[in-house]
Amino acid sequence: MILKEMLKQSLPLLILCGIGGIFTGSILGSMVDIFHRIPGLLVIIPGIIALRGNISTAFGSRLGSAYHLGLINADDMWNESLKQNVIGSLTLSVLVSAAIGVFAYGTTVLIFHQTVSLIFLLGTVLLAGITSGLLLTLFTIGIIYLVFKRGYDPDNITGPALATVGDITTMLCIFASAILMEGVI
Amino acid sequence: MYHWKRIVINGLPLLFLCLLIEVFVGQLLLLKEETLLQHLPLFLMAIPVINGVGGNIGSILGAHLASGLHVGSVQLSIQDKVMHETVITAIIMGTITYLFLSIGIYLIGLFNGLAMNVTILSFMSTFLLTGVILIGLLSLVSVITAFISFKKGIDPDDVVAPIVTTIGDTFGILILFLFIGV
Repeated sequence: MILKEMLKQSLPLLILCGIGGIFTGSILGSMVDIFHRIPGLLVIIPGIIALRGNISTAFGSRLGSAYHLGLINADDMWNESLKQNVIGSLTLSVLVSAAIGVFAYGTTVLIFHQTVSLIFLLGTVLLAGITSGLLLTLFTIGIIYLVFKRGYDPDNITGPALATVGDITTMLCIFASAILMEGVI
Repeated sequence: MYHWKRIVINGLPLLFLCLLIEVFVGQLLLLKEETLLQHLPLFLMAIPVINGVGGNIGSILGAHLASGLHVGSVQLSIQDKVMHETVITAIIMGTITYLFLSIGIYLIGLFNGLAMNVTILSFMSTFLLTGVILIGLLSLVSVITAFISFKKGIDPDDVVAPIVTTIGDTFGILILFLFIGV
């Protein structure tokens, strides 16, 4: 029963996400090269990507439990449970991003002995954290809605889907934010 | 039922810890990257996939256990039947996924003209062995963290996925390095 349902709903997605991972791995690798002149940023990129995944998958996991507890469903999506979850996830995104920015600044100055603008690093990481947080929140709500409509168990879907889409979105957001901040400062 | 402050309080300290570990692991990989790129490029390509699938399996398992504990269909007992069945399913699913992807990576490597200094059999067996050991470990971690957090009154949904993916990223690399000897 559990076996059949999980294999049917999760296995194709897992394989698809794995194939996605093969390609994003190499694309991310080539994008990372652009950050070599800002060593502090380069060091924390794996951390930012992992954290984005952590915040999103925890969000998806909570929505899965909320569904099983009867707190949320396709007909009653926009309620207090969802609102508190969205605010909680976005608050985590902002706080953690700010901490990452300061951490990146510290490693650049103390370990790599290079001068870098704190405002630039903090701005880049915060901007990337907030935009990717907003985008992934919308994506999560979309995914959850589709899963409800199809009658699937969200627990089978949200983890892999959010982790894979999260990796790509986050990397693109860091990339875009860095270019934008370089233009501004 | 849910309050955003609770979500932030449960998540924040753990996320900082995970960040530090991920940054450290990132540096470890960077150190070995040149060696891997020159001698075993296929395995360099395999690392994010091994870690990613492990993290995905662990977070699916964690999400199921958390829902089960919240609803009451999973009991806080190491003999719980639903937990056993979910863990076994996760391991079976992971093994099938790793099997498919090991063939996929080998083929992509072949088409891209990567230095194929490893036979398909030895690549597949190293990849599968690393993967199966990893999901075994992550399943254990997932059950332990879900049970302990729930017992302590912390929502397992807040903590299991971050812990499992961070341990997955760390041990995926360590187990693979151990097998290929870099």
